Amino acid sequence: MSDYTVVGQKVPRVDAIEKVTGAAHYGADVHPAGMLYGKIIRSKHAHANIIRIDTSEAEKLSGVRAIITQADVLSGRRVFATDKVLYLGEPLAAVAATDPDIAEEAAELVHIEYEVLPVVQDVMEAIKPSAPRLHGDATKDGPNRRGISTQLRKLARDKENDHGDEIRSLEAELEKYPDEVYYNISAESHTEAGDVEQGFADSDVVVEDTYVIPRVHQTYMEPHVSVASADSSGKVTVWASTQGPFAIRSGIAGTLGIPLTQVNVIGTTMGGGFGGRFGVIITHVPAVLLSQKTGRPVRVQMTREEEFLDGRPAPGCVIKLKTGATKDGRILARQALAFWDSGSVSGASIGSTIRVRGVYKIPNLKVDAYGVHTNKSGTAAYRAPGAPQAIFAGESQLDEIAERIGMDAVEFRLMNMREEGDAVPAGGSEPKVGYKETLQAVADAAGWWERETDENQGWGVAVGDWTNGCGPGGVYISVHEDGSVRIFHGSMDITGTDTSISQIIAEILTVPYENVTITRGDTDSAPYSTGSGGSVVTFTMGNTAKLAAEDTHRRILELASERLNTNVDNLELREGAVHIITADPPKSISLGELAAYSLSTTGGPIVGKGSFARQPSTPALAAQIAKVEVDPETGRTRVLKLIASQDVGFAINPMTVEGQIEGGVVQGYAWAMMEEMQYNESGNVNPGFVDYRVPTSADLPTVESVIVEVPAPNGPYGAKGVGEPPITPTLATMANAVRDAVGIRINELPIKPEKVVTALQRNGH
Amino acid sequence: MAKLPVTLTVNGDGYDLLIEPRKTLLAVLRDTIGLTGTKEGCSTGDCGACTVIVDGRAVTSCMVLGVTAADKAIMTIEGLAADGELHPVQQAFIDTGGYQCGFCTPGFIMASKALLDENPARTEEEFRHALGGNICRCTGYTKILEAVMQAAEEIRTTA
Repeated sequence: MSDYTVVGQKVPRVDAIEKVTGAAHYGADVHPAGMLYGKIIRSKHAHANIIRIDTSEAEKLSGVRAIITQADVLSGRRVFATDKVLYLGEPLAAVAATDPDIAEEAAELVHIEYEVLPVVQDVMEAIKPSAPRLHGDATKDGPNRRGISTQLRKLARDKENDHGDEIRSLEAELEKYPDEVYYNISAESHTEAGDVEQGFADSDVVVEDTYVIPRVHQTYMEPHVSVASADSSGKVTVWASTQGPFAIRSGIAGTLGIPLTQVNVIGTTMGGGFGGRFGVIITHVPAVLLSQKTGRPVRVQMTREEEFLDGRPAPGCVIKLKTGATKDGRILARQALAFWDSGSVSGASIGSTIRVRGVYKIPNLKVDAYGVHTNKSGTAAYRAPGAPQAIFAGESQLDEIAERIGMDAVEFRLMNMREEGDAVPAGGSEPKVGYKETLQAVADAAGWWERETDENQGWGVAVGDWTNGCGPGGVYISVHEDGSVRIFHGSMDITGTDTSISQIIAEILTVPYENVTITRGDTDSAPYSTGSGGSVVTFTMGNTAKLAAEDTHRRILELASERLNTNVDNLELREGAVHIITADPPKSISLGELAAYSLSTTGGPIVGKGSFARQPSTPALAAQIAKVEVDPETGRTRVLKLIASQDVGFAINPMTVEGQIEGGVVQGYAWAMMEEMQYNESGNVNPGFVDYRVPTSADLPTVESVIVEVPAPNGPYGAKGVGEPPITPTLATMANAVRDAVGIRINELPIKPEKVVTALQRNGH
Repeated sequence: MAKLPVTLTVNGDGYDLLIEPRKTLLAVLRDTIGLTGTKEGCSTGDCGACTVIVDGRAVTSCMVLGVTAADKAIMTIEGLAADGELHPVQQAFIDTGGYQCGFCTPGFIMASKALLDENPARTEEEFRHALGGNICRCTGYTKILEAVMQAAEEIRTTA
């Protein structure tokens, strides 16, 4: 298909040996001499005033070296709660001891007196006037009130004319929406294109429903951990398990008032992240504070239970969605009102509600989204943040419309999908995309058009879109006297990205992949690198690597021209040597010889560098089809087939790309069918793998992946980000398959057996 | 807490240790002996990341007290490659892309090894269920099963 020899190939990963022999060093494997063990002391209530924190008994325990509270945070930035806690597990203090068990014992001996307050966990309750307030009495207007209030403000500004009647009538109008005065709002986002009211009026079919998506945990297998060492000069070194060492550096420096140059962050091999491993306060800052206080290195490592209580999971949300279409299958309007559970702080991905527009031509769109405070920990990104939730609603409802108008679910989607040049609702113009190709590919692979079903079996289809991010990065390359190529950079490997970088550089420098090695620097030594999240790495670092390799390539030809005494235009680099194109007999010099020669030239060793910040990205589509069988007696759903296609632009390593697709699909499956962080007035009630079930190999069949390649103009070799898209459609794929199998639509995830049985009974089964 | 003298045999090497009775085998392997290849994912025996082989059986080392592992043959991920030669299951995880972040990989490899030693002729479906005690969050299991099936084939044909 291509002339490439290294990119596009399924080469083994650069970290293969260390990963299968136990040699890879993760955060908890770092153990500097004299290290102490830190433990965070956490709130035992979901909402309470703190009356007193008494550390005296804990301090007496042999082996305890320090106990810190917010009083020890000299910068004044909030690290620990002081007067009030807002969720179960919120940090109040931290201890450092000579042994992890002693630290745990000490944590139990810290006595905290609480005045327990009423708790609110449900977003629809939290917005009501009767709800306990987390951060005061401020209110926000709902969508209808908002429109009226805006008009009122406009009229009030016009002092020239008398609008008394109009104002009175608008005020009366406001009174019609008493339920639209929302409390506990953390953020809001509003988008409008066209006229949805007109769109619904013109529609033959209008479907309206409420979708409820639970809060789920990224559940990376390595719990959060950091090891910090503060020396007497004030220099702080942190070994951090993180997706973004440079973000952690600035986060620590900013939180603790330390100059940036006095903080060095060493990213350790990362045991999964999925967006949840960017937090600064969670373990890194407490570790630094404890090290500063004790003068010893300190490790703070979360348990799995702490991960559930005080990780930063994906927000749950409630989405009220309405869609209108003509009976011949054109979607005319869509309107969403979403309430995202942001927990005790702001930050849920409410802006992602816009993704209910999907990849379809929808002339009229209105989206109103609110973040709502509840007594839970804050949230963070999880693989295409916000998209799985919004797309679940959008793609579930699309199936309902197709059903009502009697159109095939794939055909209906193909008919409405955008192509190059189409208007993106409330967006710009669509670039060249592969939406239709990707859906067609999965339908063909699944045998959609000739699909068969036995009793209680069904097929579901859904698509999800995502566009990779990008950010700054830098790469250095040096070529050594043995012809080997060394790469140096500061980006965290996120399951295969170092391999892609190495493949790109090997390709351009025409050397065997095995001759390329890659070294990660810390924030003291490496050029700035954006965090490894948002599917950015292959796009950003791939482009950076390409630039660095091209720079190296130039230097190689320049040296060869000097050495072979011929013009650069006569030279060609291939198979690891520079050849004089026209020479007869052939004449060449190997990279090793050139590298050796370079040491005695005026120019010096062969070094190349690449720097990159941004280029426009291109949207990618993931399309999936599931075949399921539902047991109507037990409500259990068994997946018979799960097929996923994805437009990846260009697969730099098809093996790791397939791995991303398969992994993303299974996380989406789990969100649809199994996972849910459960809360009541005491807080999270399922903080462990027994009650929070994640899938094992026994739960699923083989995932079949289909790679589609519609190149991105600015991606390295056309590559698009691949990590996030595959989770986006799976929630709806599963719900649509269950609907097809037994005729019930579950709009409140997860689709647990008991919900299926109850719904079937309601349907008179 | 008072420490007890214990001799552990790990990957064929003897270790004379003084350990507190409350320390798990996982803690002893990682913190006392310094073999950090075995991972801690949950500390409750639910995720399988800490799986090691004790007297031929796969066990979650966070559920075993170190002092009770005396006089037993303990094998960890570090002891699997013999004379620099990878075990077929290690090679298979590389060939198929059976790992991503790699944190669950030592546990999966040790659990797979114990299963393969016991019976390499299992079907894929049987391996699927037998590996149900190990959690991987990255791969979606498809390539892990591919790896185990490749290793099983290799072991069957070379045995």
